[in-house]
Amino acid sequence: MFHVSFRYIFGIPPLILALLPVTSSDCDIKGKEGKEFEHVLMISFNELDKMIEVDSNCVNNESNFFKRHSCGDSKEAAFLNRAARKLNQFLKMNMSEDFELHLSRISEGTLKLLSCPSKEEKNVKEQKKNDPCFLKTLLQKIKTCWNKILRGNKEHKVW
Amino acid sequence: MLQLSPLLSLRMTILSTALGTVFYLLQAVSGESGYAQNGDVEDAETDDCSWYSQLSFSCYSQLEVDGPLHSLTCAFDNPHINSTNLNFEICGSLLGVNCLNLNKLQNIYFIKTKTFSLIGDSTICVKLGGKNLTCQQVNVVKIVKPEAPFDIKVIYREEANDFVVTFDTSHLKKMYVKQLMHDIAYRQEKDKKDWMHVNLSNTRLTLLQRKLQPDAMYEIKVRSIPYSEYFEGFWSEWSPSSRFRTPAVNRAGEMNPVLLIISIVSFISVVLLVILACVLWEKRIKPIIWPTLPDHKKTLEQLCKKPKKNLNVSFNPENFSDCQIHEVDGIQSRDEVEGFLQNTLPPQLEESEQQGLGGDVHGPNQPSRIAAITPETFRGDSSLRCVAGNVSACATPLLPSSRSPDCREGGKNEPPVYQGLLLSPGTTNSTLPPPFPLQSEVLTLNPIAQAQHILTSLGPNQEEAYVTMSSFYRNQ
Repeated sequence: MFHVSFRYIFGIPPLILALLPVTSSDCDIKGKEGKEFEHVLMISFNELDKMIEVDSNCVNNESNFFKRHSCGDSKEAAFLNRAARKLNQFLKMNMSEDFELHLSRISEGTLKLLSCPSKEEKNVKEQKKNDPCFLKTLLQKIKTCWNKILRGNKEHKVW
Repeated sequence: MLQLSPLLSLRMTILSTALGTVFYLLQAVSGESGYAQNGDVEDAETDDCSWYSQLSFSCYSQLEVDGPLHSLTCAFDNPHINSTNLNFEICGSLLGVNCLNLNKLQNIYFIKTKTFSLIGDSTICVKLGGKNLTCQQVNVVKIVKPEAPFDIKVIYREEANDFVVTFDTSHLKKMYVKQLMHDIAYRQEKDKKDWMHVNLSNTRLTLLQRKLQPDAMYEIKVRSIPYSEYFEGFWSEWSPSSRFRTPAVNRAGEMNPVLLIISIVSFISVVLLVILACVLWEKRIKPIIWPTLPDHKKTLEQLCKKPKKNLNVSFNPENFSDCQIHEVDGIQSRDEVEGFLQNTLPPQLEESEQQGLGGDVHGPNQPSRIAAITPETFRGDSSLRCVAGNVSACATPLLPSSRSPDCREGGKNEPPVYQGLLLSPGTTNSTLPPPFPLQSEVLTLNPIAQAQHILTSLGPNQEEAYVTMSSFYRNQ
């Protein structure tokens, strides 16, 4: 009987700890009321939109990143988490100081509002540098995903 | 195996018991080593607590105070604290860095940076050397202190009797803290009364003149505070005061002198017009506006007014005692004379033109006759001595002149009023009608109209004695 108790005492808990990440919930999204997005993030989106100069064909550029990650239902936080981390790769584009500050504000501000675990950093691939088209598209999709979260939160409050 | 497990469990139990005892002893030993036996432990703790309490501080932030740069300013609540080796550090919610040290300027610590993320909380610590003495968790967007407003202007609008207060603020051009609530305070300068406060969200205020004291100097100032759902903070510093003077009562109520004179003259004119209208209403205005229809009775009464004083109309023979009266033969003469007299009246003269002139008219050249006698004509020597057939003997007693009238003269000195009986020189052997008292007014006839148409109704014997109006008119 004692050897049976030791198996359960020392065997099961490690198994539970190993399986815990699989069964854990998504990122905790803060700022669902939209105050941070409206008063801080939107200002940086607008300033970056003025600074980035791209061609008109940029809209049709669908990168592999967007094919693999999208702001689908119940996946908004995950997409924002990946997209925000992707933005950090553009900080080395040798743009102006204000450009980098606004880009950092969107990236770090989004990550702070999501409060996701930092385990997924390893899976982020390095993006090509000096790809303003991809950056503009990425910023647009981040803004759209935020609007989707906030709109869903308002509808939930109405019900 | 069955023989080994009881032994193993026993060993585990003994081991755990030993470890527990060791940990207990360690805790007890470590607990006693830090205490003084004489009871000085409590004093040491009190000193630390009081010293730590003196390190309480407060901070405020100003966003976009210098272009894109934000500022953070901290200071100890106790201004007398010795802050020689003390520093402030902010960590968290920063872009690209973990922590920033504040710069010291006398007793104030501040920093200007763009790296505030403006999302999430930060930690501000007081450090002595490398050790954190006390820390506070703050959110930079919740301790915002706006910049003070400036350029206050007060403009008086005379037509509206109010004051328009405008001011400017640098936050109108900022990206983050744009929505502010402004507090305008004003008071009378000399009285130093309590300030009157007005809150508004825009930069324009209207003060009514009637709510202010006249002819007084006022002082006014403004401050601001963040007023949005995300940014919060403290009141800004007061703006520089501005002063304005309210107009005096006389000036406010004084009318334009020209306008005042015109209004007084107009009022007097209206009053005079009203008085004149009341006075002249019956006599002048009403007859024009509402003319009365002629009343024949009244008209007749006016015509038959009381005669003049000198006119003595009477049928009493005694009144004519001084007059020579010649009797007239019979009724025929009387009727003829009456008919003649009727023809001599002015409205009846036209009738006489149409009446029996035909019988007595002897042709267009026949002179017309008129006979009228008033008592006036009997004054003096004038008397009627008209004898039938002796025209020349007839006098013209009716002439107002004092001289005795002579029928032949033909009336050279005709009076303006034809009261007399005039005889043409050719009319002889005709009896003249006896004098009859008539009103002088009746005899004011148009000689032209009567000269040719008026004939007596006398008989053929009297044709010779008729008066020729035409001759009379000519003589005039």
